[in-house]
Amino acid sequence: MTNKTAGNKKSSVKMNNSLPLGSGYQWRPLDPQEKGKRQTLFGICGACMQRDCGTLIRLQDGVVVRVEGNPDTPPNFGVLCARGNSQIMSLYNPYRVKSPMVRTNPAKGLDIDPMWKEVTWEEALSIITEKLKKIREKDPRGLVVCEGFGESGTILRSLFTAAYGTPNEIATHGPLCTIHYASSFVHGAMPEAIAEMEYCEYLLSLGRSLGPNFATAPAIRRFTKAMDRGMKLVVVDPHCSIEASKGEWVPIRPGSDLAFLLAMAHVMMSEGLQTDEWFLKNRTNAPYLIAPDGYYYRDPATNKPVMWDPVESQAKTFDSEFKDIALLGSYSINGVFCRTGYDLIKEEYAKYTPEWAEKICTVPAKTIRRISREFVEHAKIGSTIKIEDFTFPFRPASINTHRGVNGHRGGSYADLVGKIINMLVGNIEVPGGCVGNSYRGPLLEPDEDGVVKLRYQAKPYPFKYPPDTIDMHEYYPNKHSTPHLAVQAILNPEKYHIGYQVEAWLTMGSNPIRKNAEPDVYIEAFKKIPFHVSFAYHMDEPAILADIVLPAHSALESARCIAYRQPHQTTSADQAGMYMAYIRQPVPPVFHSRHTDDILMDLAERLGILYGLGGVYDRLNHTYNEPEPDNFTLKNSAYQLDINKKYTLEEIYDRQLKSWSHGNGRGLDELKRTGFVKFQGPRKHWYTYYFFPDNKTRHPFYFENQKKSGDTLRANLKKYNLKFPGIEDEEYVFEQYHAIPFWIENSEINAPPEYDLWVVNWKTPYYSHDQDNVGGNPWLAEISERDPFDAGIFLNSATAQQKGLQDGDTVTVASRYGKTSGRLRITELLHPDAVGIPGNHGMGTIQSNPLNRVGASFNSLLTLDEKTLDIISGGQELSPRVKIYKSGAIR
Amino acid sequence: MRYGMVIDLKRCVGCNSCTLACRAEKGTPAGIFYHRVEKYEVGKYPNASMRFRPIPCMHCQEPACLEVCPTGATYKRPDGIVLIDHDKCMGCRYCILACPYDVRSSLKKIENYFGPGTVTPYETIKQKDFDKGTAVKCDFCVARLEQGRLPACVETCPATACFFGDLDDPESEVSRLIAFNRGTTLKEELGTKPSVYYING
Repeated sequence: MTNKTAGNKKSSVKMNNSLPLGSGYQWRPLDPQEKGKRQTLFGICGACMQRDCGTLIRLQDGVVVRVEGNPDTPPNFGVLCARGNSQIMSLYNPYRVKSPMVRTNPAKGLDIDPMWKEVTWEEALSIITEKLKKIREKDPRGLVVCEGFGESGTILRSLFTAAYGTPNEIATHGPLCTIHYASSFVHGAMPEAIAEMEYCEYLLSLGRSLGPNFATAPAIRRFTKAMDRGMKLVVVDPHCSIEASKGEWVPIRPGSDLAFLLAMAHVMMSEGLQTDEWFLKNRTNAPYLIAPDGYYYRDPATNKPVMWDPVESQAKTFDSEFKDIALLGSYSINGVFCRTGYDLIKEEYAKYTPEWAEKICTVPAKTIRRISREFVEHAKIGSTIKIEDFTFPFRPASINTHRGVNGHRGGSYADLVGKIINMLVGNIEVPGGCVGNSYRGPLLEPDEDGVVKLRYQAKPYPFKYPPDTIDMHEYYPNKHSTPHLAVQAILNPEKYHIGYQVEAWLTMGSNPIRKNAEPDVYIEAFKKIPFHVSFAYHMDEPAILADIVLPAHSALESARCIAYRQPHQTTSADQAGMYMAYIRQPVPPVFHSRHTDDILMDLAERLGILYGLGGVYDRLNHTYNEPEPDNFTLKNSAYQLDINKKYTLEEIYDRQLKSWSHGNGRGLDELKRTGFVKFQGPRKHWYTYYFFPDNKTRHPFYFENQKKSGDTLRANLKKYNLKFPGIEDEEYVFEQYHAIPFWIENSEINAPPEYDLWVVNWKTPYYSHDQDNVGGNPWLAEISERDPFDAGIFLNSATAQQKGLQDGDTVTVASRYGKTSGRLRITELLHPDAVGIPGNHGMGTIQSNPLNRVGASFNSLLTLDEKTLDIISGGQELSPRVKIYKSGAIR
Repeated sequence: MRYGMVIDLKRCVGCNSCTLACRAEKGTPAGIFYHRVEKYEVGKYPNASMRFRPIPCMHCQEPACLEVCPTGATYKRPDGIVLIDHDKCMGCRYCILACPYDVRSSLKKIENYFGPGTVTPYETIKQKDFDKGTAVKCDFCVARLEQGRLPACVETCPATACFFGDLDDPESEVSRLIAFNRGTTLKEELGTKPSVYYING
């Protein structure tokens, strides 16, 4: 029964010594006064994008000898993942950039030595200042600031960008993880909505991780607790992950989740299952009457949407007193033939039978019906629960979709259908159900139509012609981050109607070459951009293409002071009502690196944008981080900065802490003694239903605003006589803006038959995100190499047999967009139509850690082609069709 | 008093936090593992799943390694912890061959993680603790136990799958877990009497 074991080979990872040129490999000498001393600092982990685990950092003779979980601090309470335990090797990493350097070889490429010349910080910053000053005088939009999870600790980057005057701050990590739109829309929440694991009894998880799949320590804690108390977990995924192994695995063909979800909604609406009728009538716009043009029918006198009262047989504005509300039916009002939103959706979904879906997604029709039934049964429709003194609806069932579902053309529709399924059982923002992970407060505030206000990505970006943004926000008004569009606009500004040239690019903790698709296109763009500065941790792909590299601190060296942010994967009572501020005390720097915010302050000062009105400090005084208004805003605080005086980062942290609404005036000195300060607020605030209960707000069920967003864009294109960039057929764009999410085909469904499989990617415990080059950490690489579920190219045994492929073969996987190769691993844990390539390996540079150069590169198989995108979010196709063959075989 | 460990296989998610916490705590040279997690598949598609099994030293009551040690370097403390006296170990490797759990390594040379000649400050400090040419293995973090702390692998486990305590005390958490969940040991038939138990396997 055991078909594979990790064994206990004692080989070590072989590495060569190709260290970055231009700087000798010297550790900064230790402070002799540290000799014989032992010290413990408070830390915050930096080994995943969540980066929220409290740590203790042990030093001996000034050297970090251990990073441990801090037993007193939420959310990890002393535990730590494999990456967190390995951070020492990211600190003492010889492949880091150690000093500021300037290239002397004008030729750029991943395998071309830039012939670095080491310079002082003063020299480097002077050159940068001179260049950026000129660009700013000409047109500040010429600067692109490209950010990533590697530098998500900075508090000044966005303010610097804004003070400089460019709209072009672009995040690299977005297009492969477009998970925000539907939750913004339905929950008014950003970044997403997650399962509430304290009470959830039935969790249906698609294309996502609840924690264990990529080892986020606090989420594993919550997961284990929920499984211990008997939560039923159903994982619909092409890959039988760690989580699927702990629950029920329902294999699904990659990229076909939309069909599964539509069929589930169909079963719930049309096959006699119970729905939360009270919720649908009183807390959604499902009963709103829709006119034949697809918009709300509006009362001529008040312009308000209307609902039908079947007892009085008349239409009334939504905010009237109703004897009952009609969920179904068609009604003629003032001669206009209207139907309820629910009626229209039910009719549209009538065709999405489980039998129809089975042909597309391969999940048996009877399984879809069973899961739908179980989901409804577990939701306990009608039940209530008391949290403190407040009675909530109790709905302990949730469906949660994520990047695996959303990363396809039609992905936003799939995400929205997930919300429809949740709304059918009324589980939004109540105990046991699906709750947002932005700050907790009055997020469900209704707009004038009585429906949850558009926030975050649901709120369309205003159109402007010619466009200001290089990342095409004007054409993708509800998009997430789009470096993949920016890179094409940089290379072809005319095609995208851009009236300016990108003249400088700042890389900060980001790497679109490795973290996105078609690396060669990015490399071309980097060659075209005249001036590129990389705030670099190590000599990664952007760094080797830069004109100047500035050594940035590793996580352990970077001071940090933050308010706890809600977790991504799941939430539970540990988080409910808990507010915390905590600090990371920096360890002595190993090389000549600096804190990114210190570099930015210096640069801003030299550019004349640090002080005065509109400067970085002024902006810090008046802005807050949108998803978390609670997060240390100085707005209206007595501790605002004097905008004409320079502060140290510690002084800023101190003022932020003292301004924090839950901080009770405590400053940095106190946190240096305690590491964190915690405040327990009411638990009932955790569920934003509390702020707008009963019929005080309505979630969108019929997505009228989505249609409006599309129609507005269409009208603007017409007004300026524009073609949608990269897509000839306008319908191909606008069929993704309907008010009712429906079945549309993604770009891969009709690929040529030779591409007979779909590739899928998953994160692994050792490689979730690449902060501090986790992928180059030799401790983790050593484990990964021995892990039968980790690096490699995975194929189902039956598929392998059909193709005559064997475990250990070197194989090539080719999509229509690119190819990669690696060692084949045969498994039972994968859908037979799938090829699995976990993690993000391969590529690298001649000066990077050799570990970055090995392994199969999933991202190489992806494409930048606009026609493959989910047009709403800008999300890229995450499961291209592929073929697989033995490397060397002629194809 | 007998120190022992209980590992709940239903909870374990195979994340290897334990393996890495061990590595960081001990500073073991490249290629040397005091702790590992075995991973394997069971079943056939679509009824397949992953399984995980963390393997520290079993600290056996009847250690096969101790029996074969010609110099008396391997010894068992009264609290059940099996240790190696590196001054006495001559590196004959009998113990490594004798251990049925494959948890001992021979420290032929000390390899660094970033290759020869690149010794990190961390490794410089940690490698002082190693004697080349001897056998090495997990010591249940005896130094931590002396400070009243749990072994590193137990403390760091995000899944709360590892428990540690006194197997001689029937009221201890580990004893109760073993009793209530019918804990088993690996290769029971060999009569080594491990102090590491598995439950819910």
